[in-house]
Amino acid sequence: MKCPALLLPALCLLSAVVFADVAPNADRQSINGIDVVALKTGVKDVVTIRGTLAAGDSRSPQNNVALADLAAGMLDKGTTSRDKFAISKVLGDVGASINFSTDASALNINAKCLRADLPMVLGLIAEQLRTPAFSAEEFAKLKKQRAGDMKRALEDTDVRANTSYVRAIYPVGHPNREASPEEFLAAVDKATLAEVKAFHAQYYGPAAMKLVIVGDVEPAAVRTELGKVFAGWTGGSAQPPPAKAGSVDSAREQDVFMADKTNVSILWGQATQLRYGDPDTLALRVGTAALGSGFTGRLMANVRDKEGLTYGIYSYVGNDTFTDGDWRIGANFSPELLSKGIASTKRQLIEWHQKGITAEELASNKGKFVGAYKLGLATTGGMAGAVLNTLNRDLPLSFIDEFSAKINALTLDQVNGAIKKHLNPDEMVLIKAGTLPGAVGK
Amino acid sequence: MKLRFLLSAVALAWPIIHAAGAAAAPTPPAVAGFTLVKTLGGISEHTLDANGLTVLLLSDRTAPVVTFMVTYHVGSRNEVTGSTGATHLLEHLMFKGGLNYNDAKGNSVKQFLEGIGGNYNATTWLDRTNYFAEVGSEHLEGYLAIEADRMRNLWIREDGRRPEMTVVRNEFEIGENDPTQALDKEIFAAAFQAHPYHHPTIGWRSDIEKVAIEKLREFYDTFYWPDNATVTIIGDFDPAAALGLVKKYYGAYPKAPHPIPQVYTEEPEQSGPRRVMLQRAGELGTVGVSFKSPAGSHPDYPALKVLGIIMDSGKTSRFYRALTDKNLTTSVNAEPGFFHDPSLFQIYANLAPAATHEAVEKIILDEIAKVKTDGVTDAEVATALGKIKAATAYGRDGSFAIASKINEDIATGDWTLYFTLDEALAKVTAADVKRVANRYLNQSQSTTGWFVPIITPAPAAN
Repeated sequence: MKCPALLLPALCLLSAVVFADVAPNADRQSINGIDVVALKTGVKDVVTIRGTLAAGDSRSPQNNVALADLAAGMLDKGTTSRDKFAISKVLGDVGASINFSTDASALNINAKCLRADLPMVLGLIAEQLRTPAFSAEEFAKLKKQRAGDMKRALEDTDVRANTSYVRAIYPVGHPNREASPEEFLAAVDKATLAEVKAFHAQYYGPAAMKLVIVGDVEPAAVRTELGKVFAGWTGGSAQPPPAKAGSVDSAREQDVFMADKTNVSILWGQATQLRYGDPDTLALRVGTAALGSGFTGRLMANVRDKEGLTYGIYSYVGNDTFTDGDWRIGANFSPELLSKGIASTKRQLIEWHQKGITAEELASNKGKFVGAYKLGLATTGGMAGAVLNTLNRDLPLSFIDEFSAKINALTLDQVNGAIKKHLNPDEMVLIKAGTLPGAVGK
Repeated sequence: MKLRFLLSAVALAWPIIHAAGAAAAPTPPAVAGFTLVKTLGGISEHTLDANGLTVLLLSDRTAPVVTFMVTYHVGSRNEVTGSTGATHLLEHLMFKGGLNYNDAKGNSVKQFLEGIGGNYNATTWLDRTNYFAEVGSEHLEGYLAIEADRMRNLWIREDGRRPEMTVVRNEFEIGENDPTQALDKEIFAAAFQAHPYHHPTIGWRSDIEKVAIEKLREFYDTFYWPDNATVTIIGDFDPAAALGLVKKYYGAYPKAPHPIPQVYTEEPEQSGPRRVMLQRAGELGTVGVSFKSPAGSHPDYPALKVLGIIMDSGKTSRFYRALTDKNLTTSVNAEPGFFHDPSLFQIYANLAPAATHEAVEKIILDEIAKVKTDGVTDAEVATALGKIKAATAYGRDGSFAIASKINEDIATGDWTLYFTLDEALAKVTAADVKRVANRYLNQSQSTTGWFVPIITPAPAAN
C-alpha cells in the first residue's frame, strides 16, 4: 500500500502578499490568447485556480436554453484521451479537484491542488476544455442528472424565489434573466449531442478566457506550462455587452406557491442598470450595506433583533460583474409572520430611501467594507476570487490595492445620491415563495 | 447565531494533517499565572492558574490576521426534555449585550466587529458552543475584551428572549423547509432513545417557544465559566502578549462555584433495525441509512473515515458507480459522525427521478455487503489517503479554517486529535476498513429513513 508523505512541516499560514501589493506582485500575461494572472503567496503547498470563459447560460440559443449548461456538464465526462473514471482517479489520488459550472455569463473553472500537482491539473483543465469526448452514453446520463438536479432544486424556496425574481426584473434577452424551470427541463429533454458539440465549437476557446492561479506557485513555471498545454487552441469569443435592463412590465408582487413549507423566502428589489465599474457602484454598495449588511444593518437590527420577525434578512447589490446588475432585499419569514415581516421591511426600506444613511453609518460601513475586503484576501480562494472578479469587471489589478482608499473617499452625498438616483421602491418587485397564507390548491 | 445541522456539520469533520513535532516548534511563552500543559505541532496549551481556563496558541506572523475563538464545553447533549434548544437559544442571547458592552453604548460585539469588517459568528452543536472572529491583528484585544466580558456579564432578560425566540423559531422553520434535514432529525431521534443525541441541536419547536428565561439563566450560570471553556488564538500575535491579554480579561473570573455537570447517560445496546418515514410535499425522495458508530476519539474512527471516502468521494467511489452513474441518485454521501460520544455512520442517497426507494436502499446494502465480504483494495485506501493529505494542506489556508477544525477536536474531547488523528489515518489499511465495516455496519445497529415526496397539485394564484 502506498503510504502518503505525512511528515509536513509545522503549521504555516499565508504570507504577507495579501494587502495593498497585489498588482505589483501579480504576474499578468496573455498566454495563447488567455488572460492569465499568477500570484505567489506564502501559503505552503496549496494552489487555487479560478477561471472563466465566455460560455455561460446566456449564450445558449433561444431554441435551447440548456446547451451551455450541458456543454459544461460534459467536460468531466471524459476526453478523447481518457474516460471520466480515469480523470477522477488521477485527481483523487492526489486530492486535487477540477469543477466546471455555468452561471448567467460564464463557464466557471474552479480547481484546487497541491503545488507538485499543478502541471498535471493545468494539463487536465486544458484537455477537458479542448477535447471533451462527447460520448453519447454519457450525454444520455447527463441529461437525466440535470433533470434530477433541477427537480431537487425546485424544493428550495430560495431557488424558486430567485428564479422568479430575475425573470421579473430582467427583460427577455438580458443575460441575467434565467429560463423558467419548465423551459429548462424541456430544453434538456430535447437537446441533442450534435447541438452541444456545435455550442462547444462555437464558444470554447482562448478568446475572452481568464485564468487566475494563486498560492504556492512560481509564475514563470505557470507561464511555461500554460504555453504548452494550450498551444494551438483557437476560437471562443467575448460576449457583446448587452443593452442595459430597461423596465419590465412585470407584476409588482408575485407568489410562488410551494406546499408543506414552514418558511417563506422573499426577494424584493429592482434592476440597477449599473455595472460594477460604473461610478456610483461603490457608493450604492456602501449605502446598501447600511440597510442590510450584518447585524448592525437596519434590517437585521429592526426586523430581526427588535421585532423578532425573521432569522435572516439582508440587502445587497449583485449580478453586476459582467453586465448591469440588480439590487435586492432577501428575507425568510414564517407564513404566519409574513405580513408583519413585509410591512416592517417596507418601513425600513422607505425610510432608508427617503432619508438616506447617517454619517455615523457611513463611517461604520466604510470600516466594514475595508476590513472585510482585506480579510477576504487572506486565503488563496479569496484572493483568486478577487483577482478574477477584477479582470471580469474590466478593471485594472491596481483596483484591489486601491479599494480601501476608494471606499474611504466616499462622501455622504455620494452615497445617498446613489440610493436616490438608482433605486425607486415604487418600481420594485416583491417575490414570495413558500406555503403562502391564503393560497388555494387547484 | 448559526446552527449547523447534522448534514452540514459533517463537512467540518474533514481531517487536517500535520505531523507532530515534524519541524522545530516555537518555544512556548512562559507567562506568570499560566501553566504550560503541553506543546504539539506548533500549538501550545496553557492553563490560566487562577480559574482553569484552557488556552491554545498557534502563532504565525506572516499575515496581519488573527482568529480568536472561545469554545464552551456545552452543547445540545447537555439538554433534557423541556429545555431542548436552550444551548442554541442562549448562544443567540449572547449577542444581546451586557453591562459593559451593548448597543446603547455603541460598543456591542456586533458593532465592534462589523465596524472593523471582522468575520464573526457563533455556532452550537451536539457537544460544544463556540464564538469566534477573524480580525485584523491590531483588533485582537478589542474583540478579546468583549468576548471575555460576555462569559459572565451577559444580560439575560425576558425582553431579549421574546423576540429572539421567534428568530430561532424561524431558523427552525428554515431547517424544516429542507426534507433531508427533517429526515435527519427523525433518524437521530429513532437511533438514540436514551442519549441526548436523540434531539436536534435547535430543539423541538415547543421547547424553543416555551423555555423560560430562568432556565436559560440557569444554563448560563451552570456552563459559562472559565474552567468549562477553551480559548484558541491562531495567526498574527505575540504569544506572550496574547497570554497577557487573556489573563487581563479572563483572569477576573473565578472557577465555577460548582462542578460542571457531566453527561452520564449511555445509549442502550440496539437490538434490531429501526425505520422511519417522512412524507411531505416534494419532488424527489431520499434514502438515509445510518449505523451506530464510535466516538471521534475511538481508535476505529480513522478506518471508518477512510471507508466513507471510498464509498462516496468522486466518480471512482463505490456509491457513484453503483448509483449516481446509473441515474438512480443525484448524489450520495457517507461519513461517520465525529463527536464526543458514539454517534452514527450516515449514508444519504438523494434519489433521481424514476428511482425507487426500495431499489436504492437495496443497492446501498449490497455495496456494504461487498465491503464486508471482499474488503476494499489497497489502491482505494491509497486514493483516500491522498485526498486526506491534500485536504490537510487546504485546511491550512487561513487561520479561520484551522480554528474551525480545532474547534471540533476540542468538542470531541482532545484538541491533540488535530495531529494524532492524522497519524492514525495514515496507518489505516484495507484490512482495517474491512474489519470496521463488519464491526459497525450491521443491520441490527441500523436506522433507515425514507423521505417520500407527495406530489402536490399546482396552486391557484392568489
